[in-house]
Amino acid sequence: MATTTTTPTKTESLIGKRLRRREDPRLITGNATYVDDIQLPGMHYACIVRSPHAAANVKKVDIQAAAAMPGVVAVFTGEDTKDVGPVPCGASLPGLRVPYHHILAVGRVYFVGHPVAVVVAADKYVARDAAEAVEVEYEELPAVADPEKALAEGAPAVHPEWPDNVSFNFHQEGGDCAAAFAEADVVVKQRITSQRLIPTPMETRGVVADWKTGDRSLIVYSSTQIPHLLRTLVAGMLALPEHKTRVITPEVGGGFGCKLNVYAEEALMGFVSMKTGKPVKWIESRRENYLCTIHGRGHVDYFEIAAKNDGTILGMKLKLIQDLGAYHQLLTPAIPTLSVLMMPGLYRFRNITADIVGVFTNCVPTDAYRGAGRREATHGIERMVDLLAAELKMDPAEIRLKNFIQPEEFPFATATGLTYDSGDYALPLRKALEISDYTGLRAKQVEARAAGRLMGVGMSTYGEICAFGPSPATPAGGWESATVKIEPSGKVTVLTGASPHGQGEETTFAQIAAEELGIDVDDVVVLHGDTAIVQYGIGTFGSRGTAVGGPALYYALQELKAKIKRFGEMMLDSSDVSFAGGVCVCNQTGRSCTLAEVAGAAHRAMKLPPKTEPGMQATYFWEPPNFTFPFGAHIVVTEVDRDTGQIEVTRYVAVDDCGRIINPLIVDGQVHGGVAQGLGQALYEQAVYDDNGQLLSGELTDYAVPKATMMPWVESHHTETPSPVNPLGVKGVGEAGTIGCSPAVVNSVVDALSQLGVRHLDMPLTPEKIWNAIQGGRA
Amino acid sequence: MKISGAHKLPLGRDRAFRAMQDPAVLAQCMPGCESLDRTGEDEYAMRMKMALAAVTGQFQGKVRIADSAFPESFRLIVEGSGKVGFMKGDGLVRLTEAAPDSTEVAFDGDVHVGGTIASVGQRLIDGTAKLMIKRFFDKLAAKAAEVE
Amino acid sequence: MIARNFEYSTPSTLAEALALLADGEAKALSGGMSLIPLMKLRLASPDLVVDLSGVPGLNGIVETADGIEIGAMTTHHDVESSALLRSKCPLLAETAAAIGDVQIRNRGTIGGAVAHADPSADYPAALQALEARVKIAGVAGERVVSAADFFVDTFTTALEPGELVTGVIVPAEAEGTGVNYTKMLQPASGFAIVGIAVRVRKDGSLARIGVTGLGAKSYRAEAAEAKLAAGDVDGAAALVADGVEANADIHASAAYRSQMARVYGARAMRAALNRAA
Repeated sequence: MATTTTTPTKTESLIGKRLRRREDPRLITGNATYVDDIQLPGMHYACIVRSPHAAANVKKVDIQAAAAMPGVVAVFTGEDTKDVGPVPCGASLPGLRVPYHHILAVGRVYFVGHPVAVVVAADKYVARDAAEAVEVEYEELPAVADPEKALAEGAPAVHPEWPDNVSFNFHQEGGDCAAAFAEADVVVKQRITSQRLIPTPMETRGVVADWKTGDRSLIVYSSTQIPHLLRTLVAGMLALPEHKTRVITPEVGGGFGCKLNVYAEEALMGFVSMKTGKPVKWIESRRENYLCTIHGRGHVDYFEIAAKNDGTILGMKLKLIQDLGAYHQLLTPAIPTLSVLMMPGLYRFRNITADIVGVFTNCVPTDAYRGAGRREATHGIERMVDLLAAELKMDPAEIRLKNFIQPEEFPFATATGLTYDSGDYALPLRKALEISDYTGLRAKQVEARAAGRLMGVGMSTYGEICAFGPSPATPAGGWESATVKIEPSGKVTVLTGASPHGQGEETTFAQIAAEELGIDVDDVVVLHGDTAIVQYGIGTFGSRGTAVGGPALYYALQELKAKIKRFGEMMLDSSDVSFAGGVCVCNQTGRSCTLAEVAGAAHRAMKLPPKTEPGMQATYFWEPPNFTFPFGAHIVVTEVDRDTGQIEVTRYVAVDDCGRIINPLIVDGQVHGGVAQGLGQALYEQAVYDDNGQLLSGELTDYAVPKATMMPWVESHHTETPSPVNPLGVKGVGEAGTIGCSPAVVNSVVDALSQLGVRHLDMPLTPEKIWNAIQGGRA
Repeated sequence: MKISGAHKLPLGRDRAFRAMQDPAVLAQCMPGCESLDRTGEDEYAMRMKMALAAVTGQFQGKVRIADSAFPESFRLIVEGSGKVGFMKGDGLVRLTEAAPDSTEVAFDGDVHVGGTIASVGQRLIDGTAKLMIKRFFDKLAAKAAEVE
Repeated sequence: MIARNFEYSTPSTLAEALALLADGEAKALSGGMSLIPLMKLRLASPDLVVDLSGVPGLNGIVETADGIEIGAMTTHHDVESSALLRSKCPLLAETAAAIGDVQIRNRGTIGGAVAHADPSADYPAALQALEARVKIAGVAGERVVSAADFFVDTFTTALEPGELVTGVIVPAEAEGTGVNYTKMLQPASGFAIVGIAVRVRKDGSLARIGVTGLGAKSYRAEAAEAKLAAGDVDGAAALVADGVEANADIHASAAYRSQMARVYGARAMRAALNRAA
């Protein structure tokens, strides 16, 4: 038994330390394993036959030629798979119409890319050739690709059983909007769109399914954000017992929400592996990615804001038209409801009314994409506040400061039924104004205008709802889990149910564990993404990884710390023992024992403290009592080329408050990446469907994801207002950059063009659109 | 996509009108046309091989002539599909006499393209359509000159 | 993204390559920047791909009495970084530097780009302005065609089936010539929405304007050149797009493209004039 005296070696806190990501060496040296890297003995390959039409009856699927090709093992059509359960919709709303979503089309296709048949072959080249040999006879039908056109009288019905193309109507109100508008001095109205975007992770989706005939069990490798939910749902679709279904999520090369889903292909690969008895791999091509993976956004919003002449906002009305696409994927109808939840933004007004109409179109479904719902809300509110400021000839910063919820008002109950946890909304705005030298910028703008230049200064002050979330408010449970195992040598393994996929929690969670246990961060490893290894978890989305998974880890660590202390008391034969810096110390004698010694003793179990199990492991499932509400202010300076309409972002100042910061390097990375995606929406990206439902921006040559050379320098700053919702004080930051960015950019460009009479512009701000606005003045 | 334009043919209007509805002439003048078989009144089945730069594609389709108003106008409906996608064109062709032996042929219609060619080649559809139409009229004009 | 089956051949002489290409059904592979994606999308499915990388004599930049000859297999990177071109034909080097991205410039070749004749490609603008000549070889022999005659239409050149581009000849610029290539790039693909190449001398003895991206093919804006020679940049810019039926796509309408040709035309002319003696 250890009785040596050891001085705690660690004194510096790991929380707030700019540690480099431990994930990166393997990712940047080609050592990471993605789904396409999985090689199994006897691997077969699937290729999916997809509809070139947005709407058509499938008259005949002739598989004979394909099935006869050497190397082809099987060809399946919708007739073969129609007993597989539908692709699940996890969201529910009153009166929601949910079309039955077969994994392969049965009788009719509803969007370009709709899967019709699948070919399995021993070789992926043969599979591709055979897919081309499947002859499908279509009877083309009229299609509709625009949600407002879909609502018009006489529009083609996406689903013939619902000729109005309406999936749901949802109404929410708080306060007394009618009274607020009646007492208003000014009402400003604007139609604001948030165009459809195509999530573009570097790694497209991919699935390997491996049916173990002898065990009658299925392993599904999938590039997903939600391995456990995927297991539960795919097992259900295939009528397999859940315990005989295992999902392994190897490295995920980006998700951004589009892998927070259960896709037809995930069940389909399970089906074909079961039918053929072979392991089967399907890797999505970029074309399939663009046509068949969910899209984001797709809003047409009609906003009205009511205010007093002094700028006091009284209320807001919204009619939200959500382009759903042809089906509901996992959370499709829930996404616009998040926009309504966040309608008040950071402002004190308590009168809102909102009506959502969810509209079917002959397009791929929309669903969660980084900032889902909240970005659209923020964009709308922040545009409306700027429009109001312009109407009242007020400074946009001043009108915001006037309407912010004040620090002493927290917790603050909003008109939409939320309780904002904590905040000091003026703090990041004032900081951003100071860093950007706002007064100086306005002076420069006067000079620029005098010189005939179009310079703009724009801001957004965003609030977001993160850390999804209290279970009663989520479709599948909103808690998260962690297991901490202290191995006999004292090294630590953390299992998180959150399944991070690029957010860097292998680093931040190691920081949390090492901090709590007082050990070196390199003595901690964080594992995730295998349902056979990791206890059930919910996954990573909605900026919840650290904000919900982190506290689960924290509480598991507290349980272990208590146990370590009990062992320390036993080993040091004292009731006055403290555990700090990785060492138990008897406060009377100064004798000590290390964590390794304690862990060894706990596993050897020669002697145990009273009522204490051997071993050194704890699992904690943490249920969050509330969401968290991060906030921030972004200020963007732009210069518009009068002759071409091109926009240059000359300065980008981001001040984000995501509560306590565990690792500033990772937080800054999240902000930078988020801003890149926000700029993508503001300036470049749009999914373009023609009137017949053909996706014209179907490749990276036509869909403009911002490249490194298009990025401005992002000056990333922070304020830290700890959240009272969790013991770490963290709020979440994965989506902040995306949410804060696009309204600030648009506000800046509208500001630049305001001298020409332009008061609003819809995204993306393409040079031609801007040029037209310059020519036409009032746009 | 809207498509419109005009080309001149060195033929009188009556002859120009007839030439443009003569399956033998059409077969020789439509770019890449490999066969054109009559399947009904003013209706033909067509096989064509499109080749432009490295892009090649086999198409099977239909050509239909409707609303024929000799010698002034007719509607031309073309449909084709192949492994690389499909196209549909529907347009009004109007002939006006420019000179005794010269006819201006104006067309105005919609082209709808789908499949791979639509989603990866949108920037080229407009130019390609124009090129194919130009090739058609160039050949037709050359053919007409030959007949003279 | 898997091509159909094809045969692949790596000839070691030009004669062998030409023999393989003679029937017009095979495709020549140079840098593969256009052909390979088209094959993977199955928009191109040649039975035979003839890889020219093993053919000697197609790569390199040499000065001759006739001008500067750039072998067809010379990469954009080699063109942009050639000291010879930088000093004697900077317009071509500058244009090469504006193509696509680093990966494309490392792989793509001038011969491939020219033969492909993408209406939005960068080189053709420079080649038009330079009054370059394109060297062509076929089983029937060799010939040289001016850039003006070489670019015929969208993706259509003066190449007969079975012929290859073997090189491009550009002039060595006389002292005092100012040049510039300026493009408005399409943010997704990096192709030119419009690209303008200008060569000019201040004494009016030389004014050349090459345009790409605007219409079905690259061209020399000759009416504009006359104005430029007279020192009238605005007058020249107003004529850059004249008589050209402009392309339209989801990135730029025909009207906007034409206007950008005028704007970028003026910019390229001013930049070239600034460098001219």
